[in-house]
Amino acid sequence: MQEKAQGQSILSMNSIEVLYDNVMLAIKGVSVQVPKGGMVALLGSNGAGKSTTLKAISGLLKAERGHISRGEIKFDGTDITEMLAQKRVEMGICHVIEGRRVFEHLTPDENLTAAAPMGMSRSELSVQKDKIYDYFPRLAERRNSQAGYLSGGEQQMLAIGRALVTQPSLLMLDEPSLGLAPFLVAEIFGILQKINREEGLSVLLVEQNALAALEIVSEGYLIENGRVVMHGTAEALKSNSDIQEFYLGGGEGTNFHNVKHYSRRKRWLS
Amino acid sequence: MDWVFLSELAINGALTGLLYSLFAIGLVLVYKASSVPNLAQGGLTMVGAYVVLALARDLGMPLWLAIPLAAVVMFGLGFGIERVALRRLAGRPVVMILMLTLGLDIFLRGTTLAISGGTSRSMELGVSYEPLLLGDIFISRIHLVGAGVALALFVAFIVFFRTRTGIKLRAIADDYMASWSVGISVERGVGLSWALASVVAVAAGVIWGEIQGVDQALSLLLLKGLTVAVLGGLDSILGAIVAGIILGVIENVGAEFLDPLVGGGSRELIVAAVLILTVMIRPHGLFGRHDIERV
Ligand SMILES: Nc1ncnc2c1ncn2[C@@H]1O[C@H](COP(=O)(O)OP(=O)(O)O)[C@@H](O)[C@H]1O
Ligand SMILES: [Mg+2]
Repeated sequence: MQEKAQGQSILSMNSIEVLYDNVMLAIKGVSVQVPKGGMVALLGSNGAGKSTTLKAISGLLKAERGHISRGEIKFDGTDITEMLAQKRVEMGICHVIEGRRVFEHLTPDENLTAAAPMGMSRSELSVQKDKIYDYFPRLAERRNSQAGYLSGGEQQMLAIGRALVTQPSLLMLDEPSLGLAPFLVAEIFGILQKINREEGLSVLLVEQNALAALEIVSEGYLIENGRVVMHGTAEALKSNSDIQEFYLGGGEGTNFHNVKHYSRRKRWLS
Repeated sequence: MDWVFLSELAINGALTGLLYSLFAIGLVLVYKASSVPNLAQGGLTMVGAYVVLALARDLGMPLWLAIPLAAVVMFGLGFGIERVALRRLAGRPVVMILMLTLGLDIFLRGTTLAISGGTSRSMELGVSYEPLLLGDIFISRIHLVGAGVALALFVAFIVFFRTRTGIKLRAIADDYMASWSVGISVERGVGLSWALASVVAVAAGVIWGEIQGVDQALSLLLLKGLTVAVLGGLDSILGAIVAGIILGVIENVGAEFLDPLVGGGSRELIVAAVLILTVMIRPHGLFGRHDIERV
């Protein structure tokens, strides 16, 4: 019974605690499950611990002098808690980091090449590239210009495309919608959904833009102050009154809105 | 004005300049991956020359075998430096890495002094000292050979940076974190750039060793090499070539006119002026990368 439940999650993160610089406790016992082929959102406000959660999974914590001080992470049944980041990419975890950090001085085509595993043959790489250019036709048009001069939306597409070259089975994205116009967010999220459907790619999506995220995922976790404070299906979260008020409500968060947000949030923390 | 004489000065200056470029290419390789001017490049060049001599003189190998073998040894040494010293400094301030390279330079100089002593040894490549006569212009053969080596390495690296491994190295130069995120081994990439710089050091060490003899003074090439690298933009191989030619010509032609006025020593003044003016007026050098403004 238990084995079967394990088999259904591609990622299973249990009571993870992360320390930065050995002192700063950034997340305090976060547990997250991503079902195989599923799309899951991590929601929460700034500083909640969403990026830290992703870095714990991808192994990029080490680069920021952070480490997992408690808990375990299993990917496809294998314990990866202590594994090197590079090894995790090889296993099929790819993390599209915050701020669409494309290789600015390389062309989009070279960005894709850079991410290709050394063992991938030339012909396989060109098949992968064609597939990515099919998903993101805008990138195909600009494949030989300098990536640093692409628009924000194009850079985000490139960052996602670059991650796809590593042939992940779990794709994690850190606030891909940040600073993008709504039509671009819709376009990118639509493509993510398409890849998820067509290739069974599992997706873990970190967003502050809960409205857009809850449209494409099937379940979500709400993280506040380093803890999971809510977990449910997208429908349940959308209809939850707190979520509605703080994350889906007034649209452009006014100052008034923020004040209320903070006073009410205490309820989850207590 | 005697145009033949002026051309001779310019051409020989350009050839000498390309020998500075040969040295500077090594600096550029490390700078691209680590964002730090490698102050140990002079030490590596000197060690490269000593390794060739050790294999050729002490073990009696022919030069055609000793030089490639020295390149292999130095390639390994470059990787070793990353593994033993640099990896521990990952994430520390760049100035710490800079100080490490300085320490390494001192260490390498001390080591060769302890092992081989301070007397200058000759490389004996067998290149004739008889100058080549091009029309009315005298050209040094060894300088011509060295310039050819510099240009050959330039072409080789331009090609290399278009291969998958080369593209990964350029990616590392752009963004460590993003590189890690797609599974690129930044550590191995930095190691490779040191290894390649060490191979370049063998080429520079052999040519410069032939010209000025093999001793600790080879490590002082760093000063001119660094000037060339800075003028070229620190992270541009093309920049290193163009800047080498420019510095070589300015130095050779300029010294001819200035030396009588100041009574000698103007070469150093010209090099110093180029370095200082570059940093003040054009900090990114001729071909250096500007950071792209985010749109
Ligand atoms: N590299 C770091 N060093 C120290 N503290 C950090 C570091 N990165 C994040 N933090 C802290 O950890 C907490 C969670 O941050 P983060 O995971 O980035 O949140 P989110 O992505 O939800 O905005 C914050 O209090 C933040 O200040
Ligand atoms: Mg974040």
